[in-house]
Order: sequence, then structure tokens, then C-alpha cells
Amino acid sequence: MAVASNTSPMIRKSESASQWWTRWLDPSERTLAVLLLLPAALLLSLIIVYPVVRLVWTSFQNLSLTSGVPAKFSGLENYALMLEDPIFWEATWNTVLITLITVPGALVFGLALALMANLPFKRKWPVRLSLLIPWALPLSFAGLIFAWFFHSEYGVVNDILRRVGISGIIWFNSAGWAFAAICLTIIWKTSSFMALIILAGLQTIPRSLYEAADVDGAGRLRQFFEITLPLLKPAIVVALIFRTITALQTFDIPFTMTRGGPGTSTSTLAMYIHQNTVDFLDLGYGSALAVVMFAISMCVTTVYLRMIRTKG
Amino acid sequence: MSSVSFRRLEKAYGPLRIVKGIDLEIADKEFVVLVGPSGCGKSTTLRMLAGLESISGGEIRIGERVVNKLPPRERDIAMVFQDYALYPHKTVYDNMAFSLKVRGVPASDIRTRITQAADMLGIGQLLDRKPSQLSGGQRQRVAMGRAIVRRPQVFLFDEPLSNLDAKLRGQVRTEIKRLHQAVGTTIIYVTHDQVEAMTLADRIVILKGGEIEQVGTPDEVYNKPASVFVGGFIGSPAMNFAKAQLQGGRLKFEGGADIPLNPGVDVKSVALDGRDVVVGIRPEHFSAAGQGATLSGRVQVVEPLGSDTLIHFAVGSSTLTARVVPEMRPSPGEILEIGVDPSRVHIFDAGTERALH
Repeated sequence: MAVASNTSPMIRKSESASQWWTRWLDPSERTLAVLLLLPAALLLSLIIVYPVVRLVWTSFQNLSLTSGVPAKFSGLENYALMLEDPIFWEATWNTVLITLITVPGALVFGLALALMANLPFKRKWPVRLSLLIPWALPLSFAGLIFAWFFHSEYGVVNDILRRVGISGIIWFNSAGWAFAAICLTIIWKTSSFMALIILAGLQTIPRSLYEAADVDGAGRLRQFFEITLPLLKPAIVVALIFRTITALQTFDIPFTMTRGGPGTSTSTLAMYIHQNTVDFLDLGYGSALAVVMFAISMCVTTVYLRMIRTKG
Repeated sequence: MSSVSFRRLEKAYGPLRIVKGIDLEIADKEFVVLVGPSGCGKSTTLRMLAGLESISGGEIRIGERVVNKLPPRERDIAMVFQDYALYPHKTVYDNMAFSLKVRGVPASDIRTRITQAADMLGIGQLLDRKPSQLSGGQRQRVAMGRAIVRRPQVFLFDEPLSNLDAKLRGQVRTEIKRLHQAVGTTIIYVTHDQVEAMTLADRIVILKGGEIEQVGTPDEVYNKPASVFVGGFIGSPAMNFAKAQLQGGRLKFEGGADIPLNPGVDVKSVALDGRDVVVGIRPEHFSAAGQGATLSGRVQVVEPLGSDTLIHFAVGSSTLTARVVPEMRPSPGEILEIGVDPSRVHIFDAGTERALH
């Protein structure tokens, strides 16, 4: 091999145009690999790398479409502004809170749903279908439906509360109740996604392990904690990564249910980005906010991936 | 340690009957092998004994207790599964300790029992490893260790060697036999491999279509097969079968060849004369011409195996296989004169396929 690589530059120097053309038609594996990857690499650059680079660049600019002033480089000014912006902190805190509440909530409900769906039903498809429906519904649609469920006068939730003797709650008038309604809706909407991933994990656990545990004398609860849960860890971590990233980007459900209200008490970081870029047309500040959200997502993903690697 | 009994044991899935009324008594400390082809109901029977399958009818007793409705954990049995069923996230030690922890055995006792079992199986150095870090043979031994530490009344083995290669299978087979000799517990072992059945069992139970075809010691099922099925299933290479008719105390094969009848067969009592029969001769019961009766046929294929030679030859419409000394090397196409001991020739009814002697 060493001999071949030493001689190849000499050969290349002396090769004629026709030889070069032959080499081009019969490329080495390395050239072929590069050629085959090139279209995908170009496409990815176009749809991912360029927008991200452009976003970061815009975040360093003073670019507001309503000011009538041309864009100019402003360094870290947008970021400095962000640190003093109370709405940014409120929206970030709300986003973190939604993530901290809805991700574990969806995990617990998703796990319960997956365990139910994994029971030996004679007909499995109705169970699987009922799991899929909430997942398949558009987020904004789910938000609108639940806004009706939580309506103070006509909502089914208050109707049930009144039937059990609890006076109705005006859900969207108080920051706390509005936040609770949003979290419940997100948990309902996203539990099925968690359940689907966990169900796939459950189905990889061999039945013979439970039979061995039966013979070993372990009851159902012990089997769950000693066999099911440890063997589900990889599926749970994958589900948590996806769910956490989407939770950090929460937009549709609070947007359709409360528009961030009352006041800005249920506004999320994604909604604040939307408000700045779409409503106020302040692309520089909006981009800086988006960069922060991107950084948070990347940090969380890195932490999860490290967790998987450590477990592995 | 305990006896096991099945009385009219049945298992059906809807209209499909898998086990059709099995009666069997297994003595304390006995090593019984259930053997048969796929779908004969052997694993289902074992799983019903373990409590992993409900029974559709009949009764199962372990010792004096009827265990029909008891869950597996209350039957005091230990089972080695076909895929070993080791908990992949636990170490070998924790796999072996699991059932003892569940039963509340003190930690010091657990350690003692595991150390003893590990020493017996030669897996002492593997206790800190996970199952994924073990070879197939090591996993098999850990699965046995997990069963041993329990000190159950009955050990159940469900095709435990089928995932091992041929060489390892032989080694582990010997270990299982040694284990039985050491612990002396009743063992019920399921396999489809007749070699495992013959080498391990005190008694073999041969199943076919959910029914017992024959129960006997390895010698009995080999030398006195109760049916064409048993004759063909036990022994390798398989027993030869050829259609024949009994005439005047001789077996006349299709194509004209004939040999004297097994002297052990009482022609009058079974009213055989003139009836069509199936003749069974094991390949190893042929010998050089001149010893016993002589049978002739045209040689088709010769397979030298080193230790002996397999000769495939045609007698009438049947092709028979003889296992003879390595020096015997006839050429294909040649007419072979080969000896056969009439006392080792088995005769089965052509209709019922049951043995006639």
C-alpha cells in the first residue's frame, strides 16, 4: 500500500488528458463517496446551514422593518437588550416550566398508555389507533378543542366540576389556571407520542423474561420495576429527547388557547420570537431570541446524548 | 425433590387440541425426557407443568399437591428456557440472586448458594459480567445456575441446547447429566433431538400429535419401538422401513427378496400369516453376508464415514441404508449380498403402524 501511494503522484503528474478522463470515469472509492454525498450535503447546506448562519448573522444586526433604517451591524446589542427585557425572562421561565411539567407528565401518561396498549387484546388495532389519534391531530386544532373544553360557561371541564359540587373555574382569567390548562392540553396531546415510542420499546422485551420472573416468584409490580423499566430506558431516553426539544419550542397550543394571556403570563419563548419577528417585524431582536432558543435546545440534546453514551 | 404426575392432561386452543389426554407418572429424582417433532405438544406440556400455560383438562400433581390452578411461583419449580431468559441488565450474580431475593432469603445465604452453584458449574469468574458479555455455553451454564440456587422440587428444561453449536451441545449435555447426578432432583427435559433424549434420560416419553406414542428407558425405545414412528424417530441414521408380507414364517419383500421371521414373533398369536407388514431394520443391524439371514439388493450410493460406511441399496421399491465396517466398499450398481440378524428385525402392522411383537 505504501509503495502504491508513493508512486501515485508521479503517475498523476505524467498522466495524459485521456488518462485523467479515464480516471474520472472510473473514480476511486473516495472520490465516488464524495460525489455521492455531494447532493445531500448541498441540500442540507441550503436548508439548514445557510438559515442558521443567516439567523446568527441577523442577530448581530439592528434590523427592524418598521424603522425604515437600513440594517447595520450592532454587535451584541440585541443580546444585551434581551438581558434587560422582563418579557424575555418571563417567556423563558414559562418555557422552562412548561418543559419541566409537561415532559415528565407526558412520560408518566405515555408509559401508562403504552402498558395498556401492550396488553394482550384480541384486536390490537383499535387500541393502537386510539393512541395515534391525539398524535395525528394538528397542535393548533388540539389547542382550539381544549380552549372549548376549558371554557368557563360551556366547557366540559367546568361542567364536570359543577356536577361534583365544585364551582366552575374561570380558567383563562388567572395566570395559574391558564397555565394549568395549557399544561394539561400539552400532556394530552404529547402522551400518545411518548406511548408510541415506549410501546415499540416494550415490544422488544422478550416474553420469556417475564416467564422467567414468574417462575422466579416475582409479582407484577416487581416485574415492572426490575425488568420492564430498566429495559425501557433506551426508548424512554429517545422519547425524552424528542419531547424536550419540542417542549422548548412550545407555540401552537398556548397561542391558540390564550395568546400568551392574561397579559404575558402564559407567553413562551417561541411566541415571543413570533411576536417580535412577525408582529413587530424586529428581525434583529427576534433572531437573537431564536439563537438563544437554538442554544438551549442544543444544550439539552447534548446532555441527553451524553446520558445515553454513559449508560451505553 | 418430588414426583410429578399428569392425569388425562389436555390443552386446547379453541377447537385445536394440542395435548390430548396425557397420563404419565414421573418418580422422584427421575430424569425424564419428553421428545418428539415440532408441534407434538412437548413444550406445551412442560409449560403447563410450570404454570405458564393454563390446562384445558385433567390434573397435574407435583408431589402430593394438585397444582392445576397455582401460579408458577407457588409450584416450587425452576426452569431453564430455550433462549436462557437471562435478565440482560443484571450481572450473572444478580441473575442468580433474583429469585432468592424475591423470596426473602438472607444475603449471606444467597452468597453461599451462588458460590456453591458457580463452583459446580465453573462460572465463578463470570459473576460480575452481564449476559451480553458471555458466550452461548456460558449463558447456558448461568441459566442452569439460576435454577440450581433455588433448590426446587423439580427442574424443567425447555430445549436448552438448541441455540448451541454441535460441539458445545455435547459438552453442556454432559454437564447436565453431571448436574443431575450431583443434585439428584427430578428433571423433566424437552427436546426434539433424539440423541439428547437417549444420552440423558432415565426414561424417554415420545410424543406425537399431542399423545404419548411410547414411554420407556432408552434401551426399550431403541430395541423395542412401539410403532413405526418411534422406530423412525429414535436412532441415527433412521431405521429402514420396507413393505413386506409374511408367508410361511418368512418375510417376503416386494421384489422377491425374503428373510426368516424374527424368532421372537409368535405368528399364531398375532395371526400374521398372509398379512401385509412394515419391516423395520436399523442400519447398524446389517452385517457382512453369511452372518444371519442374507438380503440382496442393488447398491445405489456408498458413503464412507471413516469409522464405518453407509451403503444405500434398493430392495424392491424400498431403499435401505446399512451401516457396516469401513472395509466394506461395494461399487454403485453392484448387487449387494448383506447379512441381517432376524432377531433384530422389527415388524409393524401395515395399517396401524404399531409393533406386532
